[in-house]
Amino acid sequence: MAVRASDYPPPFAPPEFVAEPTDPVDERIEVGVLIVGAGPAGLACAIRLGQLLDEHPDVAERLGDVPVAVVEKGKQAGSHLVSGAVVNPRALRRLFGDRYRVEDLPSYGPVHGEAVYVLTRRNSLRIPPPPTMRNHGNWIFSLSQLARWLAERAEEGGAMILPETAADKLLVAHGRVVGVRSGDKGRGRDGQPMGNFEPGADLVAKVTVLAEGTQGHLTGVALDRFDLRSDEPQVWELGVKEVWRVPTPLRSIVHTMGWPLRTRAKYREFGGSFIYPMGDDMLTIGMVVGLDYRDVELSAHDLLQELKTHPKIRKLLDGGERIGWGAKTIPSGGFYSLPKRLHAPGLLLCGDGVGMVNIPRLKGIHYAIESGRLAAESAFAALRRGATPASALGSYDEAVEQSFIYRDLNEVRDMRQVFGRGFFVGGALASAMTVSKGRLDLGKLRAEPDAEQPLIRSGRAASYPAPDGKITFDKLSSVFLSGNKTRDDQPDHIRIERTVHRDVADMWVHMCPAQVYEAAAADGGDTVTVQVSPSNCVQCGAITAKGGRLTPPEGGSGPEYTLA
Amino acid sequence: MSVLVFLEHHGTELQKGSLGVLAKAATLGGGDVAAVLVGGGVSSLAPEAGKFGAAKVYVVDDDSLEPPLPQARVDVLAKVVRDGGYDTVLFANSVLAADAAAGLAARLDAGLNWDLVDVELRDGELVGKRPALQDSVLVDVGWKAAPRLALFRAGSFDAPEGAGGEPEVENVTVELEDYSRGAKVVSQEQEESSGPSIEDADVIVAGGRGLGAPENFTLAEELARALGGAVGATRAVVDAGWYPYAAQIGQTGKVVSPKLYVALGISGAIQHKVGMQSSNVIVAINKDPNAPIFEFSDLGVVGDVHEIVPKLTELVQQRKGS
Repeated sequence: MAVRASDYPPPFAPPEFVAEPTDPVDERIEVGVLIVGAGPAGLACAIRLGQLLDEHPDVAERLGDVPVAVVEKGKQAGSHLVSGAVVNPRALRRLFGDRYRVEDLPSYGPVHGEAVYVLTRRNSLRIPPPPTMRNHGNWIFSLSQLARWLAERAEEGGAMILPETAADKLLVAHGRVVGVRSGDKGRGRDGQPMGNFEPGADLVAKVTVLAEGTQGHLTGVALDRFDLRSDEPQVWELGVKEVWRVPTPLRSIVHTMGWPLRTRAKYREFGGSFIYPMGDDMLTIGMVVGLDYRDVELSAHDLLQELKTHPKIRKLLDGGERIGWGAKTIPSGGFYSLPKRLHAPGLLLCGDGVGMVNIPRLKGIHYAIESGRLAAESAFAALRRGATPASALGSYDEAVEQSFIYRDLNEVRDMRQVFGRGFFVGGALASAMTVSKGRLDLGKLRAEPDAEQPLIRSGRAASYPAPDGKITFDKLSSVFLSGNKTRDDQPDHIRIERTVHRDVADMWVHMCPAQVYEAAAADGGDTVTVQVSPSNCVQCGAITAKGGRLTPPEGGSGPEYTLA
Repeated sequence: MSVLVFLEHHGTELQKGSLGVLAKAATLGGGDVAAVLVGGGVSSLAPEAGKFGAAKVYVVDDDSLEPPLPQARVDVLAKVVRDGGYDTVLFANSVLAADAAAGLAARLDAGLNWDLVDVELRDGELVGKRPALQDSVLVDVGWKAAPRLALFRAGSFDAPEGAGGEPEVENVTVELEDYSRGAKVVSQEQEESSGPSIEDADVIVAGGRGLGAPENFTLAEELARALGGAVGATRAVVDAGWYPYAAQIGQTGKVVSPKLYVALGISGAIQHKVGMQSSNVIVAINKDPNAPIFEFSDLGVVGDVHEIVPKLTELVQQRKGS
């Protein structure tokens, strides 16, 4: 009988992270709109609120000393963001109007040209870019750099940004979200307070906006608490990327398909790579693979290392130096996996947290920004009327449904699922769906949760290259490069079943790009004990897709991406 | 230039780290160097400071100041710096010294460079050396104005007993600020330890996952005892619960630079390397010839720690015994 990660559910129950406010009333931190996550969605929301409150000082006055606050678990805005970041600029233009042009933002310029290759071990075949992968008019960014810039604009607009603050619990009173409770700091490995213990605080708000990004902790809690989950499960992909300083500039953006992924349907290896220039002396290279894969030895990190040994790719990197590394999951369920509603009483949900990603186009940032902007407008409209009853935020759902977010995602609604049928069939169907603008209707194709894929062993790891320290690297040196120096003696934030079938243990060991999991030697039987090094964790979220559950560690933990 | 060095003591012994900074200051060539000693019964320690180059020692001998609280020390230092016109104050890193240095910087609105590993006089200007970018480069740091404060990483300097003479001793009376009396030490506990602390040790024997099992840490402990050193550990084994966090060396543990670092069954991941790479001599024993630690060891032994270490310990004991 095939083993599945979902056979070993994690010790996690959402109610553990829902609470009523407990701090005495005069000790609570009261804000107008509380935004969780200083990423593109959350910061766009803060910026738009700043614009609206600037135009309506009477409303701002009613919201108290802190009309808008943004909590961010990373060291600063952008610390936990990783993206290939070829961005469709339309949402940025709508957000800034004539205040800023795209040219004013910290970017690596517009896309100059593009190439798509299908790779085999030694060769490559250049193909015309499929309709979904045409990037003319899009701009290249580093998302962590962009977030730092957006955070400055948000602060200029009056928002208070609270970094190193984890949103740990959703505060709910009388069926209404009233804020979040921040995580404690200074607990030891055993959970006991240490000398520098600082308890979390209740941050109470009239409207709470969860813009936590992929695998958002409280977003997941809220989807369960308010029964918002779609009938279709969300599924994810895992991306691992590096930033290189290179002697020769790369001109075009490059995408590859095929090798080192295996194209036969039974392996379920959906994905590809991206290589984007970052100015004249840097490039970013990344590998993305669907987490509905089956082979226990599949490792996105090692696939990226393998990709770099291809003669065509190696040529781009030779003589260069790796200066950055990062990993993150990408929600890829698309249209059908969107929650039933994007709001609950007192609560709005934005961006990657609810899966606003267009996988065939490899785009999500502009949806995040647009959803943040629309959330700001709905929250403002409700606050202006002085009302925040259950129905007041429903205008957000309507706005999203009328926006390009909904239109675009609907157009490609089946595209992710068809790749479950293997690369070539899937590719053909995907192109047909795009050309027909979504009129080719295949009916609703089912996806299964990533953790329910039956695991197989087919010797996947045999082809991974040994790290040479020049082109190819091991996981630990990569984690180091991510800037991760998380305090080791804090409570373990990763919820998994510790005693599992060795297939599940080996799957986690290979899956994790940050070497968090190690399987202890088997004692002869089929089950093994999993050892966890939580401080290696870069919070990519893969474990939540594959049978565990990530909760936020102490604020300020995790990677410190600056160029990712 | 007039240099003042903050000396720490434990019981009746001056701490080696602060004596190392004093000895370094005395050889800078910037004139006479003074030292400050605060605590109960410290008068008797002042002559000792002379041997390491102090021309003058300011002493505040007061039993009520024996508990290691920083504020009173800031009061003392601020007064000595003002009255004596000192333009440079040097500290050897410790919990107390770091607090005192930070407090003094705030009190005097002075510049503080911390985590330095060296200092020199260049064309009359004081220039500090600070490791940066995870210890991959040394950067020169300076001060914009006096007084210049510097905090040195543990183990940065040797403390050779010089031919220095009897220092001039000046007893200082300091009016403590009200807020400096606010904190008191309720009790002090001493961790039982058979050898030197990991920060002070000239020799560190560290164990990693390659030891195979927690009980095999006795190999490291016995070798450390024979060499008169302390025991360190990698994050992997601390994570696995084999050894206490206090012994963890590396990026998220302690940063050490002993004279001799013996790595047993340690692969040498960069997270560990940044905590010990400035050791004078690195000896690695590991059965995996491809372990990264061999790339930065002075002496690498490919072999089984379980066979080699007991014999090595025995040899060291014999050599020391004879």
